[in-house]
Parts: sequence; structure tokens; C-alpha cells
Amino acid sequence: MILSLTIGVLVAGGTYLLLQRSLVRIAFGVGLLSHAVNLFLLASGVTAYRGEPLADRMDPAAAADPLPQAFVLTAIVITLAVTVFLLALAVVGRNDDSWRIPETGEEHDR
Amino acid sequence: MTTSQPVFANLLPLFVAIPLVASAVTALIANRHVQRLLLLGIPLASSVGGAALVGLHAERPVLVTQMGGFVPGIAIPFVSDTLAAVMLTVTGLTTAIVLTFALRTGEDRLRFFTPLVLMLVAGVNGALLTADAFNLFVFVEVMLLPSYALVAMTGTWRRMAAGRVFLVVNLVTSSIFLIGLAVLYAGAGTVNLAALAGRGSDPRVAFGAALVLLALVIKAGAVPVHGWLPRAYPATSATVMALFAGLHSKVALVAIYRIHSLVFGESRVLGGVILALIVASMIIGAWSSFGENTIRRVVSFQMVSGVGHALIGVALSTLAAWSAGLIYTVHSILTLGVLVLAAGAVEKTYGTGHLVRLADLLRREKALAWIVGLALLSIMGLPPSSGFWGKIALVLASAQESPPLAALLIGSIVAASIISLLAMQRLWHEVFWGPKMTLYRPPSNTGRVETDDKPVPLPDHVCIKPLDLAPAGALLALSLVFFVAAGPLWEIADRAAVGLVDVAPYVTAVIGS
Repeated sequence: MILSLTIGVLVAGGTYLLLQRSLVRIAFGVGLLSHAVNLFLLASGVTAYRGEPLADRMDPAAAADPLPQAFVLTAIVITLAVTVFLLALAVVGRNDDSWRIPETGEEHDR
Repeated sequence: MTTSQPVFANLLPLFVAIPLVASAVTALIANRHVQRLLLLGIPLASSVGGAALVGLHAERPVLVTQMGGFVPGIAIPFVSDTLAAVMLTVTGLTTAIVLTFALRTGEDRLRFFTPLVLMLVAGVNGALLTADAFNLFVFVEVMLLPSYALVAMTGTWRRMAAGRVFLVVNLVTSSIFLIGLAVLYAGAGTVNLAALAGRGSDPRVAFGAALVLLALVIKAGAVPVHGWLPRAYPATSATVMALFAGLHSKVALVAIYRIHSLVFGESRVLGGVILALIVASMIIGAWSSFGENTIRRVVSFQMVSGVGHALIGVALSTLAAWSAGLIYTVHSILTLGVLVLAAGAVEKTYGTGHLVRLADLLRREKALAWIVGLALLSIMGLPPSSGFWGKIALVLASAQESPPLAALLIGSIVAASIISLLAMQRLWHEVFWGPKMTLYRPPSNTGRVETDDKPVPLPDHVCIKPLDLAPAGALLALSLVFFVAAGPLWEIADRAAVGLVDVAPYVTAVIGS
């Protein structure tokens, strides 16, 4: 219940931020949304089982499903890379709250 | 027990590994000759490998390697069948040809252009070969990450805004993809595509697969989730747009084919939805290409229309339909590539791709007129090039359906063709006819401002260099060869379609039993 509520709140917040004009806010929105997705992935492994998934060390009946954890790990890495790129775009791109065209030193009318 | 696989099946991961290693090498070694050699050589080698696989699959329909030697079903499998092999061949060859245009425009000298493109090739090959839904997600991301950078570094000033749209849409889509995978895993306990075969009757699996398909449809750019494509693609350079046109949406299409055929088989659970997408994409894509004002924007809407055509395979799920969809996909890669590269050559020489600013090119550019003219005929589905067989195959496949469905599909195909005909006539009229062109913008090699960039009077001797047109010409030549050699190629497409209709060999090869 707590997990699903958390996912819901994160998705709501992420969606709200994604709809903003500023790319920095969009980056935060992407962060929230990806957290929601990561929790959702973890939930697919049934969160009742929480033991470390180590062979020979742990009772398989109590061990957590390692696959969703691997999924989440991969997803986190990808999100990290993309967030850095988003923030870089936010710096070099146009001023968020105006219609000013960025000065990239190129001709603007092709 | 799995059917024993020949040893050389273990070479399949090289389709991913070699481009990735080459990408790292070209990032470290700045020698231009090494870079050019790898930039053109790797996609070409991938294409040759794909062609060899197509030959092998005549004897042995599925080749599998389980990564890391894990048990089948747990390991991440790389699988090649005729569909994957055909797409490897076509995408590799197209990529190599498109990249020769990058040499002409000087884009290959941009820092990190070569490593990024090779990473893109690795992602495409991986996405085509993997048989694991999560691995598919990873490879699609591997394909997209260099694309974000390519969008940001080439093209017009609009690329910054377009790059944002491209990036944010793809991020949200990736989230949908992941949610779909989570539902799939929760419902089925596996994301191995072969293990999911035939489980579409379980509503939880069907829901997960449908979410994954939704994400792929967005990435393919079908109406009503196409809005990002005609905004983002034309804002990049012609080279990058041609690359994306040949790779991104087509990889998404093939993934849709793969997942739908395995999970849902011949049942048409999603048929109604997909049918609506198809009709909307075909008609709206064709119609929207009227309203655009540069050559490449017109072409980008034709791309959306093409996605609608190719999805007919998914909606019908019959042998003829899969085969027709594959033929149309290949045709679409070739023809759209021709138009985008030809537009790129025009932009390079005349400094604009704007329909209003171009005129009277028929008199100035005979070769260009031939190339674009034939490509336009191909897009409308008229001979003498691949487009004819693409449309014919789709109509024949649709004609096998019940009369109302057949009427709807064939009617939409014909309507979309007629609308495209009119839109393409407008393009032709604006660019090739009209009063003598008087003003142009001399090219600047870097794309940066060197003069004050006002249009200057157009001298008579200015014309497109033959080598600039060569890449477009080469792709068109492939399209013409497709028209002549349609018989054998159609057989290969049928073989690929058999693998999609009868998934048992694929499943047996991947997970055994």
C-alpha cells in the first residue's frame, strides 16, 4: 500500500514537472518519474521477500527476486546518463522563460 | 533439450561487440583515416554478416547463442532468424551509404561523430538480435543515447528545441517501456520473449506486452503519437535524419513484429486498436505532408505514413501480411533515405531546403531531378522501384481478409497513395518547376556563419557536385534493383514471415523443449 501510494505520488509529481517549460524542471520530473518506475519494477519482484539473493547463504524461500533488482540497477544507470545530458542541454539551450534564440554562432534562417 | 547449435552461432554477439569496441577505438584515436575506415567499414561488415546469415537461414531457420553459458531460459539469448538477418543487411548497407554523405558534408570531422555513430550501430544490431525484452530496452537506449548527442551537434539552430522534444518524448516512452516490462515480469515471471510465446491469452501478460508495444509504437512514430518525429528529424542535418529514418523507427517496427508475433500469435486481441493506428497514420501522415514547407519536413510526414503501412503486418498477422510489412519496411528505408539525402545535397549547394526558395531545379539539375522523381514515384507506389512491390504486397495481403476489413485497408492504402501523389506533386512543382531561381546562400563548410549570410545572386555555374548526389543515387539504385529482383527477395521475405507465423522453431531454439 505504501509502495503503491509512493509510486502514485512520484508519477503525479513527475508528470506535473514534465509539463513545465523549464528544462531544469523537466529534468527533475524525469528524475521523479524514473524513481516511480524503479519502485514499480521492484514491486514486480514481490517486496514481501527481502532476503539477500545469495546462493548457498540464504533460504531461497526468503530470498528476494534478484532479477527486478538487476533491472532497476540498469535503469538507474541509464537515467543517470540521460539526466546529465538533460542538464547539459538546459545549460546550453535557450533561456527557459523567454523566446530568445540561443546564440550558437550559426545562421538562423534556413 | 535444445537443438544443438553450430559453433559459429557464438559469433552473433560480435554484431554488437565489434561496433562498440570500434566506437571506443575511434574515440581514442583521432587519426582521420582510421576513423573513416571504421566509420564506413563497420556498418558494411555488419551488412555482409547479415547477408551471410540470410544465406545460412535457408538451411537452419534460427541461430541462437546463450550469453555467458547460462541455462537456456535464464541466459540472455542472442537470436538471429531471417527477419533479423534481413534487417541487419539492409540497415548496415543503408548506414554505410548514408555515412558516405557525412564524408561529403564534413560531418565526420566533427569530434565524436564517428564513435557516436558506431555506438548507434551497436545498439541497432543488438536490438535486432536480442530475444530478451529487457535487453531490447537496453539496446534501444544504447541506440538512443548517441542519437541525442547527434541531434545536438548537427543541423540547424532549431535542433536545440527539437532535441529537447526528442529527448523528453523518448525518456517518457522509456518509462512506459519499463512499466510494461515490470507488468510483464510480474505477470509471466520472465521477460525472455521465447518464454512469453503464446501467453497473450493471459490478461496480465497481454497488458504488459501491450504497454511495451505502446512504447515501441511511440518510438516508431505512428499517429497519434507521431508529433515528435516530424519536429525532431528535419531539425537535424540530412545525414543524421537519413540515419534515423533508416534505423530508429524501423528497429521499433521490427521489435513490434517480434513481440506481437511471439506473445499474441495469430490472435488479434489488439487488432482494433492497431487498425485505427494504421488508418490514421496512413491518411494523416500523407495529408500532413501537404502543409510543410521544406523538403525534409514533407519527407518526415511520409515517414509517419510509412509506419502506418508497415503496421498492417501486425494488424493481420497472416503470412502474406508479415511478408508484405517487411517488404514495405525495406522499401521505406531505401526510398526515404534517397529523398533525405537528395534534400541534403540541395541544402548543401543552395543553402536552403525551403520549398518557396527553391525553384526551377529541373533545368539546373538533371541528375537530381531523375533521382528525386523516381523516389517520389516509389513513395506513391508506382513502378519502376521498390515502392511498387511494397504497395502491391500490402494490397494483396489485405485482399485475403474478410470483405469489410479488406475494403477498409485497401481503401486507406489507395486514399493515402492518392493524397501522397498530390502532396508529392506540390513538392515537385515547388522545387523543380517555376520561375528561374535568382537567389541562393553559398554553402559554408562548417555550418557556421562566415559571411553575413544574406542570399546572394545565383550564378549559372553553381550546381550540385556529382559526388554529393552519389549516396542518394546508390540508395535509389538499390531500390531499382529491388524492383527487378523482387522474386527472390519476396521469397526471403516469405521465409522471414514463416518465422513470425510459426514461432515454434524460434521458441525451441531459444529455450528448448
